[in-house]
Amino acid sequence: MLFLQLLINGLQTGAIYALTAAGFALIFGATRIFHFAHGTAFTLAGYAFLFAWRADWPGWAGVLVAVAAATLFGMAMERFVYRPIQRHEGSFFTVFVAAFGVGIVVQNLIGLLAGRGLATVDTSLSFGTEVLPEIFVAPILWIAIGTAAVLFAALTVFLTRSHAGVALRALAQNPDLIRTYGLSANGLSVLAFAIGSALAAPAAIITAMTSGLNEAIGHQVMLISIAATIVGGIGSLRGAALAGLMLGVAESLALQFVDTQWAEAVSFLVLFAFILFRPSGIFGVAAAR
Amino acid sequence: MNDAPTIRRRGLVAAGLSLPFIRSAAAQQASGEPYVMGTLFPMSGPNAEYGEAFTRGAQLALSHIAADNMLRRPIRLQAEDSQALPQPSVVGMNKLVNVDRAVWVLVSWTASSKAVAPIGDRAKVIMVNGGAVGPDLSGLSPYFWNVIALAHLEVPVLVDYLTRHRNVKRMALVYVDDPLGDAILGQLRTELPKAGGQLVGSFSVPRAAQQFGPVAARVRQTRPDAVYIASFGAQQSQIIKGLRDNGVTQILCSYSAFSIDSVRQLPEAVGALYTTQKLDFESGDPITRRFAADFRARYNQTPVAYHANYYNAAYLFGLLARQLEQANEEVNGESLRQAMLRTRTFDLVGGRGTFDDQGNLMTQMQVNEIKGAGRTEIVQG
Repeated sequence: MLFLQLLINGLQTGAIYALTAAGFALIFGATRIFHFAHGTAFTLAGYAFLFAWRADWPGWAGVLVAVAAATLFGMAMERFVYRPIQRHEGSFFTVFVAAFGVGIVVQNLIGLLAGRGLATVDTSLSFGTEVLPEIFVAPILWIAIGTAAVLFAALTVFLTRSHAGVALRALAQNPDLIRTYGLSANGLSVLAFAIGSALAAPAAIITAMTSGLNEAIGHQVMLISIAATIVGGIGSLRGAALAGLMLGVAESLALQFVDTQWAEAVSFLVLFAFILFRPSGIFGVAAAR
Repeated sequence: MNDAPTIRRRGLVAAGLSLPFIRSAAAQQASGEPYVMGTLFPMSGPNAEYGEAFTRGAQLALSHIAADNMLRRPIRLQAEDSQALPQPSVVGMNKLVNVDRAVWVLVSWTASSKAVAPIGDRAKVIMVNGGAVGPDLSGLSPYFWNVIALAHLEVPVLVDYLTRHRNVKRMALVYVDDPLGDAILGQLRTELPKAGGQLVGSFSVPRAAQQFGPVAARVRQTRPDAVYIASFGAQQSQIIKGLRDNGVTQILCSYSAFSIDSVRQLPEAVGALYTTQKLDFESGDPITRRFAADFRARYNQTPVAYHANYYNAAYLFGLLARQLEQANEEVNGESLRQAMLRTRTFDLVGGRGTFDDQGNLMTQMQVNEIKGAGRTEIVQG
């Protein structure tokens, strides 16, 4: 029974990881920008929903506000931080430091506005009830899995069937070709940031309801997103999503065999295993030397 | 050989440039420059709520010291962000000691305190802890004092209460993987058998862990009567919520870390028990009443143990420095320590307290129960 309970917990955590990692992977895959502030988009979305909830706004309005906050933040980062950097020298290190700095500033602003300490959305959706002996399931589990499934299906349709989606995939492979066809690489880059950041919002809302938020939560989110992106195969959206789910489940199921202290280390053991034995990740293509 | 004159010249230039910064403490005293009181609290990150609470207590003490004209020189509070981590704490402590010339530093967190203690010890700077409870903080240095009851005093009180009044026989522990968590684990292993109880499971979690559903499943398996949570900051609230959301209905309990707002306001924390030193803000003691009234007026908030601890930690400087000023002695770490050893007993918030030989302020303890919406009730003490 413990195994089943851990699997259920793992699926819930994995769905959150998958959504967050997919957003990061979409941005990185399309633009090759290491968007370390993706965790900040997650934090902003979570707090936006929290404020709306505390103001007694309807749930759907809170979701919209959260999605808008994450999307606008992602677009602003692309337009006002990354694009000016790339116009000059655009080194990886400069991009990373700029994103890290923005994250620190936003973290402190949130601390000032929302107060320090844990903030949670108090809802019965996160409260587990015993559905089988020793098996507790909360309604949020189905919401997390359902949301992740619907969003990935929609994203797949968008990327394969719409002109903008196909152009985004082309941007990842050959930006020069995009310009040759008269498309705007900058516009597509903004689109990638908007969609990728928006994907963090549902994960942030679910986190606000389950484990709660604090202003520094973005760093942890980024660690998982980076790990999932590498394990899934850099540039592969479905790889990142699958790896996020896998890491969540692995982290939880590990408790069947090891001490609780090692649960998070399992994610990184999986990461190291992939780096050593399959560096291209689950769906990545091995680069020729 | 040819380099020798250059070195001498460079040395002379360096010495000349540094002269304006080299001033004796006596000269500083004569000039009326402020005393520097440092703080090493987490001001950012998931434990920043503590830093804010600790600072409020210290600030109120300084305003009382100034209002009462206790000292001839003002006090400047110099804050450094420890992030509740040893490495930034060491950086902050070095700055406070070597650049700001702090004579008195308020510290917190077991791991951070242990990291900075050698620096303060070498520089003979007084370090006062009002937040960390690791038992090995006792006697860490002659210049390291505690105005909070350490875990070896907190845990037995709670164990005794739980076994006697709540019929708790089986206890599980969820503890953070750091010196604080290890200390609580050691205390429970010792104290529970003495009281006829048993530690049925101990679950260590990394400091950065945020998901506790799977841990709850493991805790449930041990069939505990109570679960002791030895963590701090945002994580301890996440553990409470994680356990309650995932079917752990038993008593939750902890040490004084539960006295922060985010725990007392958490709906899932209703019924949780925690220990603090004895504090009755409605008592007849004028210092305690003044502290409580002014704290409420200044911060629009009911004070808790941490506010009182760091008020005491800062106010103690005022009491000792006044003694030294009145005796026309220099105010430095060594003279402050000698003054403390001469006096030992002080009237502080919570009542009269006496320091033992190890620099620990000995006080009585109480057990508190969280009643919801920020309210707590003293259930023993």
